[in-house]
Order: sequence, then structure tokens, then C-alpha cells
Amino acid sequence: MACVYIPVQNSEEEVRVALDQLPRDASDILDILKAEQAPLDLWLIIAREYFKQGKVEQFRQILEEGSSPEIDEYYADVRYERIAILNALGAYYSYLGKIETRQREKEEHFILATQYYNKASRIDMHEPSTWVGKGQLLLAKGEVEQAFSAFKIVLEGDRDNVPALLGQACVEFNRGRYADSLELYKRALQVYPNCPGAVRLGIGLCRYKLGQFQKARQAFQRVLELDLENVEALVALAIMDLQANDAAGIQKGMDKMRRAFEIYPYCAMALNYLANHFFFTGQHFLVEQLTETALAVTNHGPTKSHSFYNLARSYHSKGDFEKAGYYYMASIKEVNKPQEFVFPYYGLGQVKLKSGDFRTALSNFEKVLEVYPDNCETLKALGHIYVQLGQVDKAQEFMRKATKIDPRDAQAFFDLAELLISSDTGAALDAFKTARNLLEKGGQAVPVEVLNNIGVLHFEREELELALESFNKALGDGVWLALTGNKPKPYVIEASASILDYKDMQVFHRLEEDGLAVELPWNKVTVVFNLARLHEQLHNTGIANILYRLILFKYPDYIDAYLRLAAIAKARNNLQLSIELVNEALKVNDKCPNALSMLGDLELKNDDWVKAKETLRSASDATDGKDSYAILSLGNWNYFAAIRNEKRNPKLEATHLEKAKELYTRVLVQHTDNLYAANGAAVVLAEKGQFDVSKDIFTQVQEGASGSVFVQMPDVWINLAHIFFAQGNFALAVKMYQNCLRKFYYNTDSQILLYLARTHYEAEQWQECKKTLLRAIHLAPSNYTLRFDAGVAMQKFSTSTLQKEKRTADEVRSTVAELENAVRIFSQLSAASNLHLHGFDEKKINTHVEYCKHLLEAAKVHREAAEREEQQNRQKQEAARQLALAEEARRKAEEQRKYLLERRKQEDEQKRLQQAEEHFKREQWKSGNPGSRRRDRSEIDDEEGGHSEKRRRKGGKRRKKDKNKSRYERDDEVPDMMDDREEMEDEDANRNYRESTTRMNDQDDDNGENAQDLLAAAGLEDSDMEDETAAAPSSTAGRRRRAWSESDDDEPVQRRPESSPVRGNSAELQESDGEIRDDNRKPNGGDALDDDED
Amino acid sequence: MAKSMKLAGLKSVENAHDESVWTATWVPATNSRPPLLLTGSLDETVKLWRPDELELVRTNTGHCLGVVSVAAHPSGVIAASASLDSLVRVFDVDTNATIATLEAPPSEVWQMQFDPKGTTLAVAGGGSASIKLWDTATWRLVATLSVPRPEGPKPSDKSSSKKFVLSVAWSPDGRRLACGSIDGTISIFDVTHAKFLHHLEGHYMPVRSLVFSPEPDGRKLYSASDDGHVHVYDAEGKAIIGAMSGHSSWVLSVDVSPDGEAIATGSSDKTVRLWDFKMRAAIQTMSNHTDQVWAVAFRPGGGGRLASVSDDKSISLYHYS
Repeated sequence: MACVYIPVQNSEEEVRVALDQLPRDASDILDILKAEQAPLDLWLIIAREYFKQGKVEQFRQILEEGSSPEIDEYYADVRYERIAILNALGAYYSYLGKIETRQREKEEHFILATQYYNKASRIDMHEPSTWVGKGQLLLAKGEVEQAFSAFKIVLEGDRDNVPALLGQACVEFNRGRYADSLELYKRALQVYPNCPGAVRLGIGLCRYKLGQFQKARQAFQRVLELDLENVEALVALAIMDLQANDAAGIQKGMDKMRRAFEIYPYCAMALNYLANHFFFTGQHFLVEQLTETALAVTNHGPTKSHSFYNLARSYHSKGDFEKAGYYYMASIKEVNKPQEFVFPYYGLGQVKLKSGDFRTALSNFEKVLEVYPDNCETLKALGHIYVQLGQVDKAQEFMRKATKIDPRDAQAFFDLAELLISSDTGAALDAFKTARNLLEKGGQAVPVEVLNNIGVLHFEREELELALESFNKALGDGVWLALTGNKPKPYVIEASASILDYKDMQVFHRLEEDGLAVELPWNKVTVVFNLARLHEQLHNTGIANILYRLILFKYPDYIDAYLRLAAIAKARNNLQLSIELVNEALKVNDKCPNALSMLGDLELKNDDWVKAKETLRSASDATDGKDSYAILSLGNWNYFAAIRNEKRNPKLEATHLEKAKELYTRVLVQHTDNLYAANGAAVVLAEKGQFDVSKDIFTQVQEGASGSVFVQMPDVWINLAHIFFAQGNFALAVKMYQNCLRKFYYNTDSQILLYLARTHYEAEQWQECKKTLLRAIHLAPSNYTLRFDAGVAMQKFSTSTLQKEKRTADEVRSTVAELENAVRIFSQLSAASNLHLHGFDEKKINTHVEYCKHLLEAAKVHREAAEREEQQNRQKQEAARQLALAEEARRKAEEQRKYLLERRKQEDEQKRLQQAEEHFKREQWKSGNPGSRRRDRSEIDDEEGGHSEKRRRKGGKRRKKDKNKSRYERDDEVPDMMDDREEMEDEDANRNYRESTTRMNDQDDDNGENAQDLLAAAGLEDSDMEDETAAAPSSTAGRRRRAWSESDDDEPVQRRPESSPVRGNSAELQESDGEIRDDNRKPNGGDALDDDED
Repeated sequence: MAKSMKLAGLKSVENAHDESVWTATWVPATNSRPPLLLTGSLDETVKLWRPDELELVRTNTGHCLGVVSVAAHPSGVIAASASLDSLVRVFDVDTNATIATLEAPPSEVWQMQFDPKGTTLAVAGGGSASIKLWDTATWRLVATLSVPRPEGPKPSDKSSSKKFVLSVAWSPDGRRLACGSIDGTISIFDVTHAKFLHHLEGHYMPVRSLVFSPEPDGRKLYSASDDGHVHVYDAEGKAIIGAMSGHSSWVLSVDVSPDGEAIATGSSDKTVRLWDFKMRAAIQTMSNHTDQVWAVAFRPGGGGRLASVSDDKSISLYHYS
């Protein structure tokens, strides 16, 4: 056994100290060392021995005593040993500092170490070992560059200083200069071939880093040859085996790891790798044990980080997110920069995402992305988080990048598509299709949602055939084929014929009897619903009907199916059935806002104003006032109420208008892009005469409404047309009404035709006005108001013609014909009034009849006069013509005479020329040709001139067509009001009725007086209107304005059934689009109401 | 399906009238001439056309306010035309001589049809909620078949205007008359006893056109409505036996092929469709018109011809096979 001998002072004796029997209490030894004034190297030896035995306290005690000021004083000239002791202490504290994890203690250790080294340097600042120590300390502190300088100083003095070489190698390794590091290791080996295996380990690591795996392997193997139990080399080799990433490699690698573990069970690296392995084999118990051990045995940050990560991952996979999060965090704490070890950031991101802490998740994934900017999973995760944070643009950006990096990731395309649905349906569709194609190519089943969404997007883009294809694909085989296929069973056809017996589920029982399983899996309900919606759109009402009933057969609580059936019934004007169906829906959920809104709308259609308001209000309440549709409906209600009550109470009107405006505004505050609210607000503005502002808004709404099949807003076109009309721009108003009719109504809306006729009337285009009204009558035969209006138009045409100063007999003749028609129409209306076919006052109509009759008498007189005049004119013309003919004949004779004369002259001339020709043959030929050419050219010029003149004339004609656009107060307000009457309650009707009668009575009076005057004055004057205008022109403007506002007001009341649902409706739809996005499933919700307006 | 039906366009005449063409019917052939197509328009004229070239034979004037309906006597000798001013003019097809002018104020005139034997002209009476029957020998009004008004506390204006009669159709045996109203109800009458039999329900919007299937399916009644549907009823049994949807707007006109196999419809959606009743499905859609198609008419007898007229002022002729 090794011993040291402490020489006894002043004697030849020595105290023998057996190194393996050092006393527990270092003070005993210290006493001897001090007492005997033992050489300092003995102090060091003993201290080192304590250290080797793990008795760190004693080690420190001895060295601290050995470096105390007394010693310095006593051994002042023993420089090297003193330096050695100080360096040993420095190294010790460097080590402590290196392994210490707590920052404060760590620094304290480093400070101590620095102090010892500085002290050593003060003794001899050139001592290489001190510099080596300093270098090590700096390395431990991570101050690589300064460490480099320290080692450099040593190596400059002695280029073969092995510790400095190794230190420098370490510096270079840390700097990432593996080649340089390798060189240094090599030199160390050359200088000191017997150095411990650790040097070769360094070589191995350098080669590994340099990618020279074969040589690295050799180096590690060499280490193992030298030291069979070198755990690091074993682990390094194991890692290399594992990285081969094949079964054999993993097997070999794990064998080595196990051996390393058996040799030294506290190698954290090995433990981590083993834990890693058992994580993948699912032996979580082992994972925890191993990592806990690893954590206990190492203070190495990265390794600990790895251990924590293993632990966290294990908990993560077991679903214990709280613990997983805790350990991921611990793992991250051990990492200085994400670049070193990024996995725990990813794990923590996942866990935080799971727990809804998006901000934290976001920052973690962003760190991962710093390291791996092209990692698809991270990009997708970030995309999801940004969706949750509402930053859709950013989300899209990340998803798009993910799809670019891996164009074969179906999931990424799917996610991207979902993000795009709300902003760019075209791109969304493409992304969905790509996802579908990828899945199909990969032989995977395409999820129902993907196909459903593709279908919905096609649907929205009006590509109905493609939508159908996709829905059918999503549904696959099932009972629906028996309902929608080419050859349905007769009883299916019968069942689909009518929705009257929507409760009758017999058809499904019969299908079951026929051996068909009537099944509807939950994940296909939405697709069936969408398919039914599509068939509705394709006007296959029967199929839609039976599909909705299938849904209700299996899922009797599916409210939207009831609402769609109700909408179908409503579209076909079966209000009773529609209300019944909505009530079925309300039985399922009496607070369903969609059902309530629809019910309110139906009640309005049924003229049940008070009930409707209550229902709409409860719809709004059911959603805490957040449902735009319900608020809009209430706004509309108030608007219509305002209009309705105009004549009764102006105050009430103002209140209602104000209320309507408030409600529209409330919606606009919540959803600035709500077209229907904007339209409503603009209507209120127009109502107040602010045409310019409202026109701007309407125009914007019109632009906004174009593009989607789900947004149909004819109202805004009509409103714009009204504005043009009110501003006197009749030509544009006509265009707008016509376009609206064609675009939205297949030219079937008699109401818009009435607006059109009115515009023609104001523009004094009588024939167009009449034709338009006749078309309207043809479309709505039972609307007697239109007949009345047509009568008025003809009456007006006649008077205006008769008032013209110059008129042809043809004009007067057609006037007579029109008056005869007017008389006929009014007479028929008069006769029909006995039967109460319409609500006109007989007396009033009779007034018109009488008026037209006397106008007719007058017109006939005029016609005779005109015809007489015409006759005379004709005679005059004939005489003139005769005269002209005679003149012409005379002129022609004269011309003939002249011509003959001329010709004779020419002949003479020619003869003369001929003679000359004979004389001057050659010269003639030369000069003749150019002459004839010139003539040709001038002929062409003439022709062109003629053409251009013709063209000019044409242009002139076109210009002449421009119409005179003066406007006039008119009397067909009366029919408009009459029109309202039907829509209103009886009370109002009576009021209206009275009012119109009063008006007519006014007219009667005038007429009465006029009639005589007129008769006396041969009926040249028109009705009171013209008289009045002539008498008091100043009042015209006022009356005109009234007329406009009245007519504008009238209009929406009549349009009420259409306009209110249209408005709210698509607002609903937008939300339902939201639904598609949210749960990939249903464009139903508000959609259910979408047909309301029809 | 035994055979496939098909329409093929033969000839179209643009600007056949100066204004919308609202009505059309075929005048059966006589010994001296082939069948002719009779059309009426908003331009107040009635025109006769010779197939297959659709060569204009004559233009009849004299109506006011647009011609809404034309009807041809089964003999092919006389025809009737009616305008919005509620006057019916009966005239000799070949000479254009006026035979009678019919009027029954305040009843308006909408669809008209001669009975299969040619003894009676049935006229849909609009707001009078009745069918007027005119004897074709004396041109006297012989009967008024009124649609019963729904019983209620106050038979107000509203309900009566809802029974406004627009369309009329004779059963092939001449014993039944059907009429369609604005409110969608169809009423069936026993002609011999001048008695109302029952309503057929299912439509809730105007029924603008009605037609019975030829024998042996003479009980089968097709109806065209603004609700976009064609319904098929058993007129005797009161039952609806089918509904055909597909038009995207009002169905304005319906007719059955002489063989009873196919149905043609004209719609506001500008299309003419050919349907197979057995399939309850459209077989073919013709989109040659650019505006509402107001009338479709199969030519009686053989040859397979279908004519359509439209708001776009044109008339079209198709071969049906």
C-alpha cells in the first residue's frame, strides 16, 4: 500500500502515513504537517488522496490551510508547490462552478477559482500550469475566446504542453472548428502516446463531428481496446449504431448501451438513450426510472435537459399534460439556446396548445421554427394557433408555407383549405381538391368532411353538377340512393310528390320491408342535408323533400330539416303548412332563433303585424341581441311600420324610422360588412331625402352583393332605381328596373313592372308606360289596380296629345282609339266593382269613365277636324303635286331640248376633233390617256362624297330621338295607394280608402266644373292637374316631392314580404358559412331560411 | 322506358310579332289545307303560320291591349282569339270573316278551349271566378260554372280574387271541365249537369295552364303553376299522383303529346322542357328562347310537332319523336 513519509522536524525520523488509512478528521494530519513543517508537496499529495477517496471536505481543508497567509510567509521561497496548491484549489472550484446549476453559487465558485489562480499568477505569472488552469476555468465559464488566449500563452512557451493542447482542442471543439481540434488532439497523442483513452475519445468526437464516421468509430473502438470499460466510448459507438436507424443497428446500439449501463449504471447519456428506447417500446415505467437516475447522476445541462425531455415525453404520451408541461419546462431550463436542443420546445408548445395557452404555445413553436424554418409540423401548429388567435392571415401564411415545403401533405392542404374558406373560396376549393387527390393517390379513404366541403364550395360557386358529384361521393352507398336514384320505387315518387304529409314516414318503413336498411350515420347527416339543399337549388323539390324527411325520420330533432321543409312550403306559398313546420321546429327548441325569425316572417306575410313583432323580438332575445338577422328583421318591421303609419301619424313615423335606423346601425356596429343592414340604413336615409348618401351606400351594397350564389339582393337594385327616379334620372331608373327584373325575377315581377311603368309615365313615354302595364296585367291578372293605371295612362296620353299645338290626324286617331280603350277599361272596372272584385270606388271609376267619354267626344271632333284638315292638306298637296308634275314635265322638256342642243354641239365638236385626230394621230394618243384616267379618279371621289353624306344624315337622325324629359305631377298615386290597401289591415284599408276617395272627390269637383268648361271649350283642356299647374306653378315642386316620397314609401310596404327576408336571410347565410368553416359540416343554420324571399 | 323521346329544333322565326308572343295553338287541318299555327301577341295581332317553314299566312288585326288567348275549333274551320280588353273574336280561319264577338262583362277572358266535339267554347272568366260556356252554333252564353267560394264569416274581396280563374281544360270525353285559379286551386266540373264536383289541391300559386291526357288516360290532369311545378292529378279521384319540378321559375304552359307519352312545358325561366311522366323527370331542356316562354303546343294528329312562343317575340317549331 502506498505510503507517504512526513519527515519529523529536526530528526531523521519520519511519520509514515498510509494513504489508504488517512484519518477521517483531516485536522489530525494537518496538525502533523504543520508541526513538522512538512514540505508542501506532501500537503498536496495527501489532499489529492483525500480527493481521490471522495473526501472533498478534507481535501479542501488541507489545501486551504496549505495556501493560508502563514504558509505563504513560512514557505515564501517554495514557489512551485505553493502554486500547485493554489492551482489545485482553482481547479477544484472551477469544477464546482461547472457542475453547479444554481447561478449564484456557480458564480461564487468561479470567483473563488479565479481568486486562487490570480494568487498563483502573482507568485509566478509565467507558470504554464496556472495558465492551463485559467484556461480550464474560462472554458467552464463558457468564455471560449479568453480560454483560447490562456492556452495559447502556454503553447507559445511550450508547444507540446499536453494539458494546454487538450484544453485548446477543447476550445476549438467548442468553437466548432473540429478539424483544428482534431489536429490538437493528434499532437497531444504524438507528444504523449500513453495518454488516457479520453484523448482518443476527443479524436473520435472530432471525427464524428466532421462526418468521418468510420474513423470516429475506429477511434472509439481504439478507446475501448485500451479501456474495455470506457463508458463514453461505448455510448458513442452505441449512438452511432442507433443512428444507422435500422433494426440491426438499433439492436447493436442498444446492446452497447446496456453494456455501458452494466459497466457504469450512472452514465446519464446511456441512461437517456435507454430511456429513449423504452419510450418507443412503450415501457414508460422504465423510462421514468432511467431518467430519474440519469437526473440524479448528472449535472451536465444538456444531458439533464435530455432526461427531463424523456420524462416529459413519457408523461405527454400518457396524457398527463400537466406533468409533461412541467418537465418540458425543466428540460428547456437546462438549455441555453433552442439550437442546442429544440425538442422540448416543441413538446411544450404541444402541451400548451392542448391546454389553450396559445401565447405560450406560439412562442415555443416559434423557437422551434428558428431552428428548423422548414418544419412542416411546426408550421402547421403555428397555423392552428394563429387561427385560434384570430390572425387568419398569418395562419394562412404558415399553412401555405407548409404545403409548399411538403406538397404531399394532405392534412396541410386540408387545414389550409379550411382557413381559406372564408376569404378565398376558389383557393380553398383548390386546396381541398389537392388534399383529396393526395389521399386518393395514397389509396386512403377521403374523409367525408373533405368531400362535403368540396361540394359546398362548388355549390357556392354555382357549379351545381360538380357539387352534386362531390356530395354523392361523400355519401357513398346508402338508403339515399333509393331516394335520389334514377329509378326510384313508385311509392317513393308518390311520397316525394307532396310535402303535405311530411309526418308520414310510411315510405321509409316500406323501404325497410323491401329489405333496404334505412340507416343514416351521424357523420353523413350534414351531407344528406347539403345534398337536399342542392336538389332544392336544382329545383328537384321532390328529392329535397324526401331527403329532409329521411333526416327527420332518423333524427327527429334536426331543426334545420324542418325549417327547410318550411321554406319549401313557403316558396310555394303554402303559408299554413310552412307555419306548421316551423312550429314543429319550435317544439324541438322553442328558443331556436332561426325558427323564430322565420315564424315572424311568415306572420308578416300573413299580415299579422303585432304577432310578428313579438316573435321577432323573442328571436332577438333568444340570442341576447347578437343575432343580426333578428335585429334586422326588427329594423325592417319598424321601417314598414313607419311607412304604414305615415298617413295616420307623422310622429309615429319618425319614431319608427328612428328605431329602424338604430337597429340597422346596431347590426352595422357588430358586422361592418353586413349588406342588409347597410341597405336598410340607406333606405332610411333615402326616406329622409338624403339621396346622394343613400345612393353611395346602395352602390356599394350592390357591388358587395355580386359574386355569391347565396347573396341575392334585388332590393338594392330597386332602391337604386328609386333613387334615380327620385332624382329625375328616368333613363337610368328604367335601365336599373329592367336589369333587376331580368337578373332576379325572370321578368315575372309585376310590382317592378309597375315601378317601370311609373317611370315611363313621369318621362311621358306613354306607349312604353301602357305596354309595361299590359305586361304587368298579363303577369298578375287579378291585380285590378294595374288595369286602372293602364286606363289612367291612356287617358293621360290622350289629353297630352290633344293639348299639343300641332298634331297629325294619325295622332288624333290613335288618341281616339286609346280613349275608347280607356273608356272600356274603366267601364269594366266599374261593372266589376259590383261584384266586389276589387276595392275601387264605383263612383270614382265612373268619374273616369265620364271624363274619358267626354274627352272622347271632344277627340272625335278633333279627329274630324284633323281629318278634314288632312283631307284639305291632301288636296292641297295633290294640287301642289300636280303643279310640281307639270313643272317637272316642263323642265324635263326644256332639259331634253337643251340636251339635244348640247349633243348636237358635241357631235359637231367630235366631228371636228375626229378630223383633227386624223391630222395629229400620234400626239392625240399620248395626251388622251392621262385625261381619261383623271376622270376616273374624280368619279370615285364623287362616290365617296356621297357615302359620307349618307352617313352624316344617319347620325343626325339618331340625335333627333332624344326625348323631352319634363316631369309632371300625376294622379296615379291613387292606384298606388289602392295597391297598399290590400296589404294592410282593414282599418287602414278604410282609412286609405277614404283618403283616396277624398282625392278623387277633389278631382270630381274639378272635373265637374271643368267638364262644363271643357264642353264649352271643345274639351281641349285636361284634368285638374294641368289647370292647377298652370294656375299655380310654384306648388308643383312641392307636390311632386310628395308624390315621390309617397311612392317610395308605398313601394317597400308592398315589397315587404320580399324585402325583409331577403335582407336578413343572407346575413344568416354568412354566418352559416362560418359554420362550415368551424365544424366542416353544416351550411344549414341560417341557410335554412334562405329561400324565404321567394 | 321503352323508347327514348326527343325534341329537335326545326325552325325559329325571330320577330314573328312586334311584341311579346303570349299565346299559341294549332288549328287542325281541313280538307283543303294542312294544320296551321295560330299565335297571339301583345302587339294586338293574331297571326297564322304554315308549318314546317312557319310561313306567315295572315295577320289578323282588330284586337286591343294585347292578345292573351287563342283557341281553335276541332274542325279546323273556326278559331277564337281574346284580348286583355275581355273581348272574344270568333272568326273563320281561312277567310278571317268575323263570326261572332263574345263578351260577358264584367267577366274577363283568359284561357279558352273548344270542347272535343266542338259544340261549346269554354272561357276562363277571371275575376268572375267562373267558366263561361258559349254555344258554338248560336254563340249564346249557355252556362256559367262558378267556382264555389270558400265558406267563411265574410266572403271578402280578398277571397274572391283568389278564386280568379285563369286556365281551363276539357277532358277528352268532353264530360269534365277543369279550371285553375290564382290561389292554386283547381276545380273540376261535371259539364253535363253543370255541377261543381271537387277541388284538387297542392298548388298555392297561380295555375296558368291545364291539360288532360288523351284517352285512355283521360282522367289524368296536368297543371302548370307559378310555384315552378307541374302536378299530375287523377281528376276523378281527387288525388295528386305526381309532381315534377325542375323549372327555376313559373311554369306558364303545359301540353301533352298526342300519344300521351310526353309532356312539354314552357316557363319563365326561358326554357322549354320535355318530360316523361313515368320517370317524373325532365328528359330534355331547350334553351333557344331568350325570354319567358308563354305557350307550348303539340300539333294534334301525327307528325310530331311542338311549337313554342315567347316574350322574345319569336316562335319556334320542334320535331318530337
